[in-house]
This record gives sequence, structure tokens and C-alpha cells, in this order.
Amino acid sequence: MIDRSYKELLKMRRYPHTWCPGCGIGAVLKNVAMVLKEFGWSYQNTVAASGIGCSGRMSGYMNLDAVHTPHGRALTSAETIKAVRPELNVIVLSGDGDLASIGGNHLLHTARRNPVITVFCNDNEIYGLTGGQAGPTTPKGTKTLTSLRGEIYSPLRLGRILTTQAPYFYARTTVYHLNHFKHCIREALLWKGFSFVDIVSDCIELNGRRLGFRTAYQMFKWFDERFHIIEGERDHLREDELGIAKAEAEALPKPVEEKEVKPEVKKEDLKPYTSEELQRFDGNEGRPIYFAYKGTIYDISTSPLFQGEKRMRCHIGGRDLTQDLEIAPHGEDLIFKFPVVGRLV
Amino acid sequence: MKRLVSGNEGIFRGAIRAGATYFAGYPISPTSEILQQAALHSEEYPNFQFLQAEDEIAAAIATISASLAGAKAFTATSGPGFSLMQETIGWGHVVEAPCVFVNSMRVGPSTGMPTQPAQGDLLQIKAGSAGDYYPIAFYPSSVEECFRLTITAFNAAEESLSPVILLADAFLSHLYELVELESIEVKVVPRIKEPLGKGQRLFTGTAHDKMGNVRTNDPKIYQDWLWELKARHQRVAEAYPLFQYLPCRGSDVLLIAFGITSRIILSLKERFSIFRPIRIFPVLEKELKEVSQRYRHMMVVEGSDGQYAGWAEWATGRKAIRVPCLGGGFKLQWIERQIEERLKEERT
Repeated sequence: MIDRSYKELLKMRRYPHTWCPGCGIGAVLKNVAMVLKEFGWSYQNTVAASGIGCSGRMSGYMNLDAVHTPHGRALTSAETIKAVRPELNVIVLSGDGDLASIGGNHLLHTARRNPVITVFCNDNEIYGLTGGQAGPTTPKGTKTLTSLRGEIYSPLRLGRILTTQAPYFYARTTVYHLNHFKHCIREALLWKGFSFVDIVSDCIELNGRRLGFRTAYQMFKWFDERFHIIEGERDHLREDELGIAKAEAEALPKPVEEKEVKPEVKKEDLKPYTSEELQRFDGNEGRPIYFAYKGTIYDISTSPLFQGEKRMRCHIGGRDLTQDLEIAPHGEDLIFKFPVVGRLV
Repeated sequence: MKRLVSGNEGIFRGAIRAGATYFAGYPISPTSEILQQAALHSEEYPNFQFLQAEDEIAAAIATISASLAGAKAFTATSGPGFSLMQETIGWGHVVEAPCVFVNSMRVGPSTGMPTQPAQGDLLQIKAGSAGDYYPIAFYPSSVEECFRLTITAFNAAEESLSPVILLADAFLSHLYELVELESIEVKVVPRIKEPLGKGQRLFTGTAHDKMGNVRTNDPKIYQDWLWELKARHQRVAEAYPLFQYLPCRGSDVLLIAFGITSRIILSLKERFSIFRPIRIFPVLEKELKEVSQRYRHMMVVEGSDGQYAGWAEWATGRKAIRVPCLGGGFKLQWIERQIEERLKEERT
């Protein structure tokens, strides 16, 4: 016997629905409802959000608290609901025009912020509700009401946009490959982060017929020719592949602090200088600049502050500068950076 | 203890006192400080959520959605950002989401003069979104009032089940005053609306019946819904007939001003009577009519080219003399000279 318990999740009292015969949205709605039922998600713990368009009507047929946002804003809405009520499961049911065109900015940024929501995108490659205008995913060359000689721009490749930066979960499937479709829904709902299911769907009435298809089934066969299912885990999907591309967040590389270890030199081993000898090293006539600090002599010739100057404000080369530190704006650390050349006797 | 508090901080503290637990915003002069305060506050209080959105559209959607999810939510912006939020404000009225939108006005249109105060967003507030709706808007004129009216705005939002607008201007946002906010006693209306997640309702911007079913071809259902919305807003607004009236003996001129303009012309109170509407929308029709009929001349001093003067004329059915302070030029001497010149023209 066929299990029809998924109908608990659909507002059957509102049927018949508004969609055309042969539309792929019915398959999307049914399969999402079936998997939600399988997972035990119900109106007690699940909220649906959707935008505007044929696909945007989906949330209104779900037996859940549903938010039907202005055009393109479903993702931000879903993200906020999840943020305010983390105990709820939040799904987005919407279309390609809504999510990728008018809501394109929100798609980029919500994906970046990675909230735990699942997006089901009914990707029918057309604006159906308004009569069949070219959409962001309409393939190049397709004739529509607004691309009379064939769409001149390349379509937006959601698979590439959404898999640029880990973590990501992007699944592509069709309404024809039902087992694969359900597998993708399950995986997406289990993903702890932003998961996006791109469902290639058909719009027979306002797109398919113009392309020369006579029935929805012919469009499904076309999907079967265009796409093939790939097995296993992948980082990216090619445009003709159906499957799941996912990546966990990369661990942030920790900044490495390098400490220079200077070999300890015993003070007794250093070359002894008297203060008269030290005074010769004042930088004049190409001689290096030395100075003494607490009995140790340092070479300061490499310091950019002493370059060509022979002196740095009140510090004069070739002297014992131990007293000067008290009035200096820096501590001892600065002095220890210079190479040690000898000791004062 | 009294301390120096800015208008922006007054608004933020007011929202927190009213029980706000969600803020979404996008940086814009002169309300960026509210966004910064929210970021700081969310560090200390984990149950306070904060989102720096990608644009004002997302910030507004997040505010309404947070409200539907059960949080008392608010956002803050200025004129250009408020223009982007209009779509969502219309949606908020239809899905009945109580929340507060703060609009601190600067000189427009477009980017205008980002650091200069103005009062030119009144018509945008009244009718910026598509279709008929009846927004409630308050306009404080001091830091303490920023605090109090933010709470009033939250209360009115809960009662009217809609986004309520709190107006300010660039001047007021950055005005620092010595106040003690902690000891102010206020009444806070709790959330009554059932949050998302337990029912089978549809919150849609499409016309719908009481069950939440989309009904897009029945004028009767739409009319019933709109009249109910109007009546509810009118009822809530009438509970807040906020204004300040400073009569002056022997004066036959009534000056109408609000926000920072009313603060500036306060020093003229010995010469002219002053009426300061605090509830900007719905317009204080009855009060304006009653007060203005005692005076020969009614003048509106405001930071726009007659946006409120038009409403004052509509409410009272008589001429309002206009003194527009444009491009951030709020100077008392200039205003005084303008008032005298206009009166001379009128009297001859």
C-alpha cells in the first residue's frame, strides 16, 4: 500500500492548487513533504519561508507556519527566524528568479553567514508566474517573451557561485530523477549549515511549449539527456552533473610567531674596550657607531635612526648611554635588538 | 546618576527597556551609533541578537521576520536607507508584525547632505510603500524624549500589530544631554501575538482572508481587511494624542514645529504661541483644529518644503504660512527674520 501520510504536511483543504498541469513544483512539494514526514518534522518544529512567484506559493500549501515574503527576501527572513528561534527547523521553498535575481545579494550574504537553513530552489529557468520572461538561469539562446532572438547573456551558474568558499552544500537534482532528488533532500536537511538544493524543474506551459516540447514528459526526457547522476562526494559539480558538492569549513591557519633565538654569549668572552677606545667608534670616517649600555657594547650602525646622522637626538655614538635610558621614550627591549660587539672595561 | 547621553543612545536604551531582543541594521549616518551600540550590547547579553545586514532591505526584512518569530525587534536608518525599507514596511503592515523603525532624517533627496539634519521624510513615512496603510509615527525633541518615545513606539507597535516609525533628525541623534535614564518609570506592553512555530498559519503579503488563505480576486475581503486595519490604527493612535502646547498671552500667531526645530524656536515662546506635535502620523487633526482656531495666523517652521504644513492645512482647513529651513540651515536668527517677513507679507 502506498504511504500517503505525507499529506499531513500539505494543506489539502486548499486544493486544487494554482499551478498548471505538468508543472514540476508539484513534485518538489510532494517530495519535500515526504522527507519532512520521514524525519518527523511537523508544524510543531518547522517553519517554511518563500518569496514571490509560482514557486513562492509552495509555503502556503504546507501545513506549517509559513512566511511569504516580498520578492527575493525569503533567505534573510529564514535566516532571522533561525537566529531568533534556533530550536525551529527552517526551510526555504522558492524559485530561481526569486533567489538568484532579485534576491541575489541576499543569496550571497546569507550563504556567507552560513545559518542552519535548507533552501529548495525550483529552478525552471524562466519567470513562469508573469508569463515566461527570461530569468537569471535561462540558458543562452533560449527564446522567451523578453529574449525574442534568444537569450544573449550566459546564465548565472549557481553551482559555481555557491561553492566558492567553504563551508558549502550545493546539490543539483531534477524533478525527473526522483530517488536522487529525495536523497539530496535528506542530505540537505541533515547538513549543519546553509544547504542549497538546486532542483532543475520544468515549466511546460510558459517555457516548454515555446521550446518545442509537447508534454511535460518530453521535458523530463530532455533532463535525462542533459544530465547524468554522479556518485560519491564531490567538491564541485560540472554543469551536466547531478549530485552533491559539499565542503566542511577549513580550519583557520594560526598565525605563527617566530622568535629569534640569539645564542647566549658569555660576557667574559666578549672583546674588551676601554671608554677611550669606545669613543673612536662615533661613526666618523666610515667607522661603525658603538655605544655602551650597562657594561655591554652594542653596534648601532644598522639602525635606520642613526643612518648618516652620527647621532640620534641626545644619543651620541661612542658613549656610555646607560643614563640616557631614563629619559628615552623606549625601554631596554630596543637596545637588546642590536648586535653585541664587546664589553666595557 | 545623571550622565551625558546622545539621542542615538537614548533611542537604543529605550528599545532595550521596552524589551527589544533583536536589532538589524546597516551603517548609515547619522544612526550608525545605534548599530554599534547593538553590537556592543549583544556581546554582553547573549539573548540579544544583532545582525549587520548586507543592505537596508535585508535589515528591514530581518526586523519584521524577527518580530514574527517572537522577538521585539527594531532597526535604525536614515532617509536613503528608509527608502529601501519601504517595500518591507508595507509587508509588515499586511503580516501584522509589531516592530519599530527608527528614521533619523538627513538632507535629501538621495545621498543629499549626510551629516546635516532635515525633516523631509514625513511624506515618505506616510505613503512610501505601495497601497493604503496607516502608519503611526512619533517625533521626540530631546534625549529623554528619545528614550520615552522609543518605548511608546514599541507599545503602539504591540497594540496596533504593525511597524511603528520613530522619527529623529541628524541633530537630535548626535545631541548630548545630561539625563538619568535608569530611574525613568515607564509602562511596557508585552508581546501578545503568537510567535511562529506552533501553528499552520501563512504570513503573506498577498491579500488574504482571516484564515490566511490567499484571496486575490475578492474586493469584499480586501475592503473588510483594510477597514479593520484602519480602525485598529486609529484606535491605537488615539491612545497616544501626544503634543506640547505653549500658549503666549497676547500673541495672534501660532508656530507649529517639531523635533529639533521646536527646540530652536523655543526661545521665541515669549513672543509667539508654540504647538509641537509629537505624534506626527496619524496627524493630530482634532487638536490642531482646536488650538489653531484661537489664532489669526498659523505658521509651520520645519526642515522641509512644507511637508507638515500641507497636513496642517488639510487638518484645519485654513492657510498655513510656511517657513522652510532647508539644507540643514537651522539658525534661530534666520528663522526669526523669516517669521517677521512672512507675517509682514501676510498682514499687508
